Amino acid sequence: MSDQAATISGLESFLRLTSLREKAISTNMANVDTPGYHTQDIDFQAEFNRAISTPQGDGENGGMMQLEPAAREVPGLMERADGNNVDLDREAMAMSQVQLQYQLGIQLIRSQFHTLLSAIKDGN
Amino acid sequence: MNLFNSLEISASALSAERQRSEVVAANLANAETTRTEAGGPFHRREVVFRSAGQPFGLTLANAVNGGGGKAGGVEISDVIDDPTPPIMRYEPGHPDANQDGYVAYPAINPVSEMVDLEDSVRAYQLNASAVSATKQMIQQSFDVLKS
Amino acid sequence: MSNAIPGLGSIGSTGSIGSIGPGASMPGATPLDQTGSTSFTGVLSNAVQQVDQLNTGASQQISNLLQGGNSDVSSVMIAVEKADVAFQLMMQVRNKIVNAYQEIEKMQF
Repeated sequence: MSDQAATISGLESFLRLTSLREKAISTNMANVDTPGYHTQDIDFQAEFNRAISTPQGDGENGGMMQLEPAAREVPGLMERADGNNVDLDREAMAMSQVQLQYQLGIQLIRSQFHTLLSAIKDGN
Repeated sequence: MNLFNSLEISASALSAERQRSEVVAANLANAETTRTEAGGPFHRREVVFRSAGQPFGLTLANAVNGGGGKAGGVEISDVIDDPTPPIMRYEPGHPDANQDGYVAYPAINPVSEMVDLEDSVRAYQLNASAVSATKQMIQQSFDVLKS
Repeated sequence: MSNAIPGLGSIGSTGSIGSIGPGASMPGATPLDQTGSTSFTGVLSNAVQQVDQLNTGASQQISNLLQGGNSDVSSVMIAVEKADVAFQLMMQVRNKIVNAYQEIEKMQF
């Protein structure tokens, strides 16, 4: 059953990073008309690998002392005349992706807890 | 992330179609432009699409054998100038007229540009439906775990 | 169903649980060993191992998926569900075994 525990903590990091990315994407969408604004995003894969490889806190501070993921600029986007390089297509696609990721994480966590609960309840 | 590769394929198509519609819109806007920074009339521009990533056959073979590989999308490889010579119209009083009184106008036919634009819009719609369908499929696969 | 979960299928086909006798009639069961313990134990621990394997496999598929590997969503979902259902089945079988044992205990001679 320690499989369940490890998977649950991995999924926790996954969901946390997903909601952080969702914030970044909303910010980009809100700033679509701001002159000089450049698209910000987090490198999801790298941050996730970092989150699951660092050992979590020992419970004294609730294990929440995780480093904030670094927001970085997205390369390869075209700048318009006012210096803004937000691509609405890319942001809309990233938003759907993030929402699906979030649902995926929630469903997987629910199933992990379901298995644990059925063990606790003795199959009743 | 590899998680939703199929979404990225449609995303590349949406992006490419949008860029194409921008080029067509620029052509339409500049249909009567006789003077540009480079001198001479505006040149009609066209986009060239190219398939990105590996061919689908290879992706299928890899998937069946349990391997990986990114299936392709589409990308714009080039925005080229149309080499058609400009249309000359006789307007001696025009400031851009040459010695014989002819003015060079861009060889842009608004009707064909509108057809291209319709095409682009239709392709955009189709790809947006593909995105919708993919999202639905992924969401339905979550239902396996429900209850 | 018993095709997907072979170990548990063989439990189902051993007939009534009361017949904890020589293992020769049980398909795939280990023969009666010298200490007198029944082959039913072997079958049961085999089943538990298989459920554990399904569980571990599903967890691995999940982490593979999250780390951007090449597994697709539907196969991960199915693997997780298989593991869960196998676990539930094992729980129910275990409950039945425990109940049957208690029934036998109640018997007075």
